[in-house]
Amino acid sequence: MNIAQLGLEVAVAVGVLSAIAALLVPDQVRAAVVGVGTALCGAAGVASGIGAICGQTFFLAMPALLPLSGVTVTADPLSGVFLAVTGAVAVAAGVYGIGYARHGLHGRLAQTAFPLFVVATQLVVVAASVGTFLVCWELMALCSLLLVLAEHQRRPEVAVAGRWYAVMTHLGLVAILIGLLVLAGNATGDSFAQLREAARHLPPGVADVVFLATLVGFASKAGILPLHAWLPRAHPEAPSHVSALMSAAMVNLGVYGIVRVGFDLLGGGSRWWWLLVLVLGAASAVYGILQAAMSTDLKRLLGYSTTENMGLVLVGVGAAGMFASSGDTVLAGLALAAALLHLINHAAFKTLLFLSAGSVLHATGSRDLDELGGLRTTMPVTTAAFGLGALAASALPPGTAFVSEWLLLQALIHGLPASGVATAIAMPVAVAAVALTAGVAVASFVKAFGVGFLARPRSTAAEQATESPVSMLAGMGLAGVAAVVLALAPTLVLPAVGSVAAHTLASTGPVVTDAVTVRLAGAAGALSPLLLALALLAAILLALGALRLAAVRRARRAARLWDCGAGPLSARMEYTATSFAEPLQRVFDDVLEPETDVDVTHTRESRYLVAAVEYRRRVPDRIERRLYEPVLAAIGAWGRVGRRLATGSVHRYLGYGFYAVIAVLVVLTVIR
Amino acid sequence: MLRLWRKIRRTGRVAEPAPPPPATTRPAAAAGLGGSVQIRHVDAGSCNGCEVEIGAAFGPVYDVERYGARLVASPRHADALLVTGPVTRNMTEPLRRTYEAVPAPKLVVAVGDCARDCGVFAGAYGVAGAVADVVPVDLEIPGCPPRPEAIVEAVRTLTGR
Repeated sequence: MNIAQLGLEVAVAVGVLSAIAALLVPDQVRAAVVGVGTALCGAAGVASGIGAICGQTFFLAMPALLPLSGVTVTADPLSGVFLAVTGAVAVAAGVYGIGYARHGLHGRLAQTAFPLFVVATQLVVVAASVGTFLVCWELMALCSLLLVLAEHQRRPEVAVAGRWYAVMTHLGLVAILIGLLVLAGNATGDSFAQLREAARHLPPGVADVVFLATLVGFASKAGILPLHAWLPRAHPEAPSHVSALMSAAMVNLGVYGIVRVGFDLLGGGSRWWWLLVLVLGAASAVYGILQAAMSTDLKRLLGYSTTENMGLVLVGVGAAGMFASSGDTVLAGLALAAALLHLINHAAFKTLLFLSAGSVLHATGSRDLDELGGLRTTMPVTTAAFGLGALAASALPPGTAFVSEWLLLQALIHGLPASGVATAIAMPVAVAAVALTAGVAVASFVKAFGVGFLARPRSTAAEQATESPVSMLAGMGLAGVAAVVLALAPTLVLPAVGSVAAHTLASTGPVVTDAVTVRLAGAAGALSPLLLALALLAAILLALGALRLAAVRRARRAARLWDCGAGPLSARMEYTATSFAEPLQRVFDDVLEPETDVDVTHTRESRYLVAAVEYRRRVPDRIERRLYEPVLAAIGAWGRVGRRLATGSVHRYLGYGFYAVIAVLVVLTVIR
Repeated sequence: MLRLWRKIRRTGRVAEPAPPPPATTRPAAAAGLGGSVQIRHVDAGSCNGCEVEIGAAFGPVYDVERYGARLVASPRHADALLVTGPVTRNMTEPLRRTYEAVPAPKLVVAVGDCARDCGVFAGAYGVAGAVADVVPVDLEIPGCPPRPEAIVEAVRTLTGR
């Protein structure tokens, strides 16, 4: 028995035991028991994942556990990455949940579902057969649905979000089911090894159908356009540690599925598959971050940012597939390594951001940026944590996302000379999309941090906020440490990630690292995040020192803060999230299509005198409006038509039965 | 865009030739500014007559900017205040704060008769007094409203060019 197997067994056992304990222990200690149990389960998952990345493998078959297909479990380096990420997020979320759950979330149902959700998410990536995979996938979806609905008695929007999530995740499941069953139908059995064997001699067209169907399902889980509609609804309404788990661990499995099916089971496939993945990824990245920049709801902003980051990951995956199909496996390995590193980085900083957003929500009861502000003095640790997360998400050095986006850009740029018209067009466009995304991401997170945490409080709730309990801060601290380590020393994880990518694509390692520097194999390019951070720090110190020296020579005087002479300044005069986003909204007017309404009410005496002016502006999700609303309206119309058949009269229903029997008899007579 | 360029080329330079530099003595504080004066305009209760003339002085015909003066958007950026109108009760405190916000060395120019001695508004219920009653004034421009030439001359006194 090796660490990979032992870790997984411990993780499953601890997770299931904590779920059972949640049912049995009294209310006061339930959150603590479940939190500690989930964190231990996560830690065991991390150990198992690291073992699997290092090449340890195992195979477990439990034919009696599930009827017909049985349960088979195995691990390879690719599943190790996702196992470790899920486990690490679960550690932070579990510790955080101890303090967070005290406020009305310590109910039996939510606390039982939480460890089960972690276990199911970990099991999805080690499933070795279609049956196991789908059962774990569904278990994960159901547990997360229960958790999203945890606060449904407090806010009616939760129920709406839950409905969207339930429908979309099950439509996704149906798509995956169709794809995998078509593949399994052409194989001798439903284990992944048999599918791999069968994929080598699939009839033409079948592989395309399999990939497209699974792509639809996995893309909807990853929040990729145009199947993202559930994500900005469910993430804000879920409790924050659940949002962190969903956004940093669960959506990753969409990427896992695409990589597993595309590269592993189907063995690469045609180039247009990956071009499609790349285009979807680039569109999601740009659209997601634009919506995030427009959003004034803190957690909705983070949800859209998840769409953006998953888009970037898929750009890397798509580029890897395109390079692999043209035979450039080293470059493909680099692109896939960049994608996986970005996925890990995203997990670290998104956990941190969602947990700090939860801390704000916990203290103020509001997610609306235009009602927050001034939290720097009352919640210093949360502010520092969110600031760190915002820097990490901004793709600026020394942030966490910078390293992986740099790698991604290197892969795309070095891919330019690769053969083919599609590549020659796709790569520059992808570079532009990644660059635009990085720029808008900076604006979004400056908005979230500046408006939400700095300046003066905009509401009494924000003014009276108090710092969160220690367990919540500890959860944020763990995620923060992970984000800092990934930002300054990516050399610790990059060799492993590179070897995983190489293993998945059967190529050589794409990156070479020493203690501080990352070098690309087979292409010119090197980066030392630690030295870069030190140089930045030195430059800042130098600039501050020079300013201080220059300031000493002049006489100082105390002056009133300039308030246009009118004073005193109030929170109403501050820059709001809406006004901060307004210039950007103007620039991207054609993409976003904002709606503005101006209602002018005149006085009764004269049309020339204005009594009141009302101004409303909203930026609706355009894709939702164009794609979902017509479908929903059509379904509603069919429902109304169908209701005419069911009037409530028993006679009529008996009549239906009678006529149906007659019709069947007539049909049978005609056919026979 | 092209039409704008054509218009600019066709119109050419419309500024009048520079009159000889004024003979008036330069305030001591202006000497430290080195010939470049950033000006913040404050309307302390004017009828907007003086504003029109200030606008003309800074327009293309009189073009006072060629002598080193410039209108700025905040007293924090300014060397001098150009105050118009009698100081109304509502503008007393803002005017005082604006003056305090200007970094030293600073200058105040009272533009128009109202700014000098309240003009026709002297004794009105909303008027707190002339500009000199609220902040120290270095230079006065008489006239109701003063002609742009007079404003140009006063500004040239400040810049010394």
